[in-house]
Amino acid sequence: MKKYAMVIDSSVCIDCKACMASCKVQNNVPRGYWRNWIKHTIPDFSKGPLTRTHFQPGGCMQCDNPTCVQACPSGATYKDPQNGIVHVNEALCIGCGNCIKACPYDARFRHPDKRVPDKCDFCFSSGRLERGLLPACVDTCPTKARVFGDLSDPDSDVSRLLRDKPAVRVLAKGGIDTKPNMYYVAATAPTDWAGEVEFPGAFTVMATLVNPVVKVAVGLSALGVAVMWAKQIFSPDKEESEHESSAPGKD
Amino acid sequence: MNERMIHRHTRLSIFMHWFNAFCWFALLLTGLGLIKNEQLNPVGAWFPSLMRSLFGGGENLLMVHQYLGLIWAGAFLAYVLFKRRETWAFLKEVFTVSPASDMLWLVKMNLKMTMGRKGLQRFGLTPDMPPQGFYNFGQKLFAQASVVGGVVIVVTGLVMFFSTISMDNPGPAAWSRVIHYLTVGVVFAGLLVHIFMAAISREERPAFMSMFTGNVSEHYARHHHPLWHAQVATEKDKDD
Ligand code: HEM
Ligand code: SF4
Ligand code: SF4
Repeated sequence: MKKYAMVIDSSVCIDCKACMASCKVQNNVPRGYWRNWIKHTIPDFSKGPLTRTHFQPGGCMQCDNPTCVQACPSGATYKDPQNGIVHVNEALCIGCGNCIKACPYDARFRHPDKRVPDKCDFCFSSGRLERGLLPACVDTCPTKARVFGDLSDPDSDVSRLLRDKPAVRVLAKGGIDTKPNMYYVAATAPTDWAGEVEFPGAFTVMATLVNPVVKVAVGLSALGVAVMWAKQIFSPDKEESEHESSAPGKD
Repeated sequence: MNERMIHRHTRLSIFMHWFNAFCWFALLLTGLGLIKNEQLNPVGAWFPSLMRSLFGGGENLLMVHQYLGLIWAGAFLAYVLFKRRETWAFLKEVFTVSPASDMLWLVKMNLKMTMGRKGLQRFGLTPDMPPQGFYNFGQKLFAQASVVGGVVIVVTGLVMFFSTISMDNPGPAAWSRVIHYLTVGVVFAGLLVHIFMAAISREERPAFMSMFTGNVSEHYARHHHPLWHAQVATEKDKDD
């Protein structure tokens, strides 16, 4: 079993956006939408010639505690136990948008034609991994800022990088750690851009209100039936058997 | 004793009843199988997993559920369109209630079914029931829930069906799923009582048999649906 991850040295990213362009081409990402991104710090120009901007490549982090999966009622969004990739089963998805809202990284968008969520899947559905190719963004990156591999293999590039150097992750605000599988070597910036995990109203209402109501209603009904059944068996009224004797097919 | 039989259900309405029962059962099972999320499935994650392995994946399960749902809704639409008079008569019958005597009937029936005649006596009630028409008040309540619930289930189902085909906003599909589930749950709660009263309790056994034969004995009609029996009797007199 594999556990795919991305380890990124954001200090060498030059903001060329080749990863974004190649991803768009490889995965037919529609106009105006992106599966991956380059975030950047706000430069402080008062520093004159020493002004610096830090660029940070990113995308869906294939979290180990994926709140997008937790928000999907039907399992159309799921984490693949074989490789750790979080997939969208487009044929099962009803386009409810729960998962899009529940991702603190804003890694998902609603595909304008397919009307289902779309996001980075490490180029799995494009078939690159199957053919032994790296994800398009990793393949393209001229400075090799993005490194991709299998964390469960101790000899993979990602495992070696994480062993040799300290790494940080960008975490959601508000205390829920989605356990992202995107690591930034040494340090990165900006780190405060992820939002809070926010489960959509339709999900919360179903989980905390509708589900208990349905269980109680069905439970009470079943209890009523059980009581009536017990009464019929243990203390039947006499008149009722009279009715039965006149039932069609019985006399 | 060889009782005279009274005609109660046409063959078409008997067919619709069992068609409805079959579809409800199948849609309930496939629908429950669609809730893979452990936090949401009322019976637990094993059930959706089982249904998925039976149907070869969640997407097939959804397809079966959706198209069976459409066939079910289509059959009722056809019935309503081609049998307008019967539909109207049915709706009028089940939605016509006389609150005071029907509430008394409901209270008495609950006591009678759970505690028997002794229960009625304990609360100072006489054993006779307020007279009922073609349907008793309990049957009416369940029929009302089925009709209103059925419409809500079909509308929310259609919203989810068309969500990825032609809708540009995810909100309606998200809320439709919640309402679909709630409505199915509430109607199912009623269904448990319906099945018990019809198929298991001795009380209504003749009515259950009439869902196969179409007829009930005059004795049953007189005792359980006296208003209907009186109506049938007068019509009969007119014919004679
Ligand atoms: C007797 C009728 C029906 C029953 C008992 C039934 C039952 C259910 C149940 C229990 C669920 C899962 C709860 C949920 O996710 O809301 C469900 C989901 C669904 N039903 Fe139905 N249903 C019925 C009719 C229909 C009809 C007429 C349609 C129309 C096409 C439909 C389409 C759907 C869809 C699209 C879902 C969503 C699946 C998902 O969550 O991904 N259903 N149904
Ligand atoms: S980054 Fe967002 S979409 Fe990707 S797995 Fe994590 S929560 Fe889900
Ligand atoms: S849009 Fe809704 S059904 Fe589709 S994957 Fe996201 S949460 Fe699941």
